[in-house]
Amino acid sequence: MSATDLRTRPRREQTPGAWLGRATVVVITVFFVLFFAVPIVWLLIATGKSPHALITTGPFALGSLGDLSANWEALVRFQDGIVFQWLGNSLLYSVGALVITLITTIPAGYALALGNFRGRKVLLTTTLVVMLIPNTALVLPIFLEMSAINLIGNPLAAILPFSFFPFGVYLTYIYFSTSVPRDLLNAARIDGCGELAVFARIAMPLALPVIALVGFFSFVANWNNFFLPFLTVPGRAAPIQVGLTELLGSVPAFNPTSAGVTAIELPTLAVATLLSVTPVLLVFLFSQRFLVAGLTAGGTKE
Amino acid sequence: MTAPALDDSPSAAAAGSPREGRRQRAATPHRSVTVKWSRFSYVFVSGYVLFALAFGVLPTLYAVFIAFLDNEGRFSGITNFTKVLADFRFWPAAAHVGLFLLVWLVALMVLVTLLALVVHGIGRRWLSSSLRFVYYIPGALAGASSVVLWLFVLNPTVSPVSAVLHAFGFETFVQTVSPGNLPVVFAVIAFWTGAGNWIIVMYGALNSIPDEVLEAARMDGAGAVRTALHIQLPMLRKWIAYMAVMSLAAGAQLFVEPRVLSQATHAVVPTDWSLNQLTYLYAFKQQDLNGSAAIAVLLLVASLAVSLFFVVRGGLFERD
Amino acid sequence: MTKPTTRAVRTRLSGVSVAAVAALLALTACTPGVSPTDGEAADSPFGFATAEQKADAPITVWVDASRQPAADAFAEAYPDIPIEVETYDGGADGSGSFQTKIQAFNQAGSGWPDVVFSTQNNDAAWASQGDDPFAAPLDQGYFDQSFLDGFTEGALAPLTVDGAVYGLRNDIAPTVTWYDESLMEKFGYEVPTTWEEYRELGLKVAEEHPGYIVGGIGDAFAEEIYFWGAKAPLSTVVDANTFSADASDPHATQMAEILDDLLDAGALAQEDVFSPDFVQKHSGKVLMLPGPAWFSGAIFNNPSSLDAKPGTIAVGAPLAWEGEEPAAGNVGGGTWFISQHSENLEAAKTFLEFVTSDERYQVDLAPGLPAYQDAADKWLARQAEDGFFAGDFAAALSSASTQVWDGWGYPRFSQEAVWNKTVTPKLAAGENLVDLLPEWETAIENEAQVNGYTIK
Repeated sequence: MSATDLRTRPRREQTPGAWLGRATVVVITVFFVLFFAVPIVWLLIATGKSPHALITTGPFALGSLGDLSANWEALVRFQDGIVFQWLGNSLLYSVGALVITLITTIPAGYALALGNFRGRKVLLTTTLVVMLIPNTALVLPIFLEMSAINLIGNPLAAILPFSFFPFGVYLTYIYFSTSVPRDLLNAARIDGCGELAVFARIAMPLALPVIALVGFFSFVANWNNFFLPFLTVPGRAAPIQVGLTELLGSVPAFNPTSAGVTAIELPTLAVATLLSVTPVLLVFLFSQRFLVAGLTAGGTKE
Repeated sequence: MTAPALDDSPSAAAAGSPREGRRQRAATPHRSVTVKWSRFSYVFVSGYVLFALAFGVLPTLYAVFIAFLDNEGRFSGITNFTKVLADFRFWPAAAHVGLFLLVWLVALMVLVTLLALVVHGIGRRWLSSSLRFVYYIPGALAGASSVVLWLFVLNPTVSPVSAVLHAFGFETFVQTVSPGNLPVVFAVIAFWTGAGNWIIVMYGALNSIPDEVLEAARMDGAGAVRTALHIQLPMLRKWIAYMAVMSLAAGAQLFVEPRVLSQATHAVVPTDWSLNQLTYLYAFKQQDLNGSAAIAVLLLVASLAVSLFFVVRGGLFERD
Repeated sequence: MTKPTTRAVRTRLSGVSVAAVAALLALTACTPGVSPTDGEAADSPFGFATAEQKADAPITVWVDASRQPAADAFAEAYPDIPIEVETYDGGADGSGSFQTKIQAFNQAGSGWPDVVFSTQNNDAAWASQGDDPFAAPLDQGYFDQSFLDGFTEGALAPLTVDGAVYGLRNDIAPTVTWYDESLMEKFGYEVPTTWEEYRELGLKVAEEHPGYIVGGIGDAFAEEIYFWGAKAPLSTVVDANTFSADASDPHATQMAEILDDLLDAGALAQEDVFSPDFVQKHSGKVLMLPGPAWFSGAIFNNPSSLDAKPGTIAVGAPLAWEGEEPAAGNVGGGTWFISQHSENLEAAKTFLEFVTSDERYQVDLAPGLPAYQDAADKWLARQAEDGFFAGDFAAALSSASTQVWDGWGYPRFSQEAVWNKTVTPKLAAGENLVDLLPEWETAIENEAQVNGYTIK
């Protein structure tokens, strides 16, 4: 039984106030559903239209499969299918960084939440402070670091900086501090478990939701990162976000100098945009369950 | 002392501290365990600390360091700062970002909380979870992708909501993105992509409020609004503060959105609209890394000051 | 027991971090961006200090999507020269990506591409300057003077800084007077040859045939068509570090008045010519459209744009002030650069010569008027053969290409960006161009100052 059930119990009186309240809730919900969903729906429809149809037909008038495949063809033909190269790069960088992030942030958040060592507060404050720094200020020094060790253009030049994920540490810290009781851990210690065992056998199983959560956020943040890969992995090694802006530069509406030759039209750009977000959407679909459970302080309940 | 009973007081899940007392009492007889645990903690944080040093601390220190040098590497005091503050683009950019943050943070804090409460209060699970899904989907389009999408949505000629745009009096794309509208435009885009994330976080936090508390409130005759105001909101305080801090950090760093919009509008949205765009121009167009670092340091100091407010008020560092 | 240990650990940790910081700073201080050079500038046959040359080192070429065919054509024509092609946005719309990346490579001390194409023809202004300039001067012994002389007169002007040529022009884009001959005949109008006649015609059209336009002012390059063509001194690059702009000059104020009159009458389009709005509103209603040469394939002979019927569109000479010589503006025309750090200058030279002058690209594939005179003549002949445009297309374009006014310079910043930021939104909101002139001048001067110019 959850708190939500309380709301569905029939009320004895339907006061005008209660009815108004319900109506307001409905209006708000519907408005925001439209607000969030309409642009996405439009994007889906726009991928199937010809450039002319995009301008002349209504936004929700359906296009045709023929136009969709034409747009797809145009995208695939662009520089011999570089869009797939970009997608592959994004995948490599995001997943690579994800693995390293999980390995480093989960134990760190655990120790910050449940440990008691000197420098704990310092590390927490540092994490928060670093999160507040404008990233263009950091991109150049990171670029210098990467080039000092000759890594520019190497996938590691994207993967390593991506792996630093203070937000993940903070999330893990909050999770562990709210949902894993110290007493549980102490009990295990008293029973003779070593620290590693305590972590692996007691804390980790409880932490599965936050692992999924951190993994998800890390993947999405890495996938959408623009400025760092723009500098450190340019050209054919670029991820899809950087590639998308390059595609933008080939759309005549946005760049007159590209008119007439190898131009990308607006609907093709729509296809590219959709393609660039599909992996994240898929990942989200699969991690739906964890995203909700992850923040429930499930350790102490039920 | 036997293993302490599981704590199920109402405030345990969120902002309380009764556990601390219990912890201290339990720790004393088992000092050797805690000692070993303390030492081992270093191992656990070592990986993260390494990355934090390499990609967090060192670059920050470097940025602060070069903000006080001139381009020959000699110490130059605060000349970079005075130069940057006197730049004709600085204060407009600061005002732009400030306005944007104001609109965005208010919208975020009010609307996300409201939507989370609404979604949480819905009885049917399938409805609740599909709503959350719908609200979240735009979050998958963060960064360049969402701006490209909004290029279409903001253009009255192709937009799905052209009726709305016309109602505001915008007949052309240039009118929609005219300078006066930009803070709101960017706030709308940012809200569209970011709200879903936070709604889910808030929803999860709401879930962690034990049923007994809500039941007790209901029995005391509290309606939905009273329950929200007196029980749920205080529980969410920490999360709302966290959301505000994170959004402030992200918002102050506004870069990709104005940059892409600038590219697409041929600089009608200027290349120096946000402070971060200005740091970019200094570093790469004017080849003045020191000035760029100076702006970054100023931005950092301002963000820190404001976020300290939220940290203190929201009790972010209290541990349960 | 714990305290000394943790304190020791902490001291050690902080000691490590201090050392790490020092090390990194030392590292970065050691890469000030000066590249190792072997040849002495004075003795090198190329006229600049070169990197060590390797006879078959592959050359890295940066192009934008539209110039990819050029690189492909080269690879086909010279299969023995190894090239690696990378595409980028070409610096479109003042994105500055060319400059960004080069700056980053300068910092790192390595990684420069050998050949770069840029859509912005004012890049020589920065690429030729600094302690470690990127662009190699081409006329100090590197390229044959006879080859360089083969470019249309004035084509290399944007690339000439302090007397040396730093790049090659890809295509030239003088502004000409595009008009619809069939409509002119239908309405019984005469094609104007002066700005004063243009204004008269515009007002007449607005009265007699409302809805038809004689020009467009919604583009970022509108000032390059109208003010440059009007010889308004708003972009005077006095020398590499001095700049001046004067919006109170009569050429500027008179042009602003003309444009205001036409705008008020509704004879000018306010949409950007590449936007869907423009096509929607003005298809079939374009009586005149002063604009660059490349409007040919981009606007008129383009099914996705105005899609004019063959034989209706013609080109007239650039407009002149009454009693003065005609002057053309210039909108674009990309440029090719070679890096001073290139390790295979021979291959780079072959590449540049091919892409700027060889028929296999410039005549057969290029969408715009080539800057190399020979190629230009052949390109024009081919366009005439196709017969899409009415009138003497070739003659009009040829003469326009020599009439680009040289009083408008190529500064380190984008004039288009300044115009679009300062003027376009206000015009869209209904303000007067004449009133906006002082503000525009100030904006240009401000931008010049932050880019290192002293204002005269």
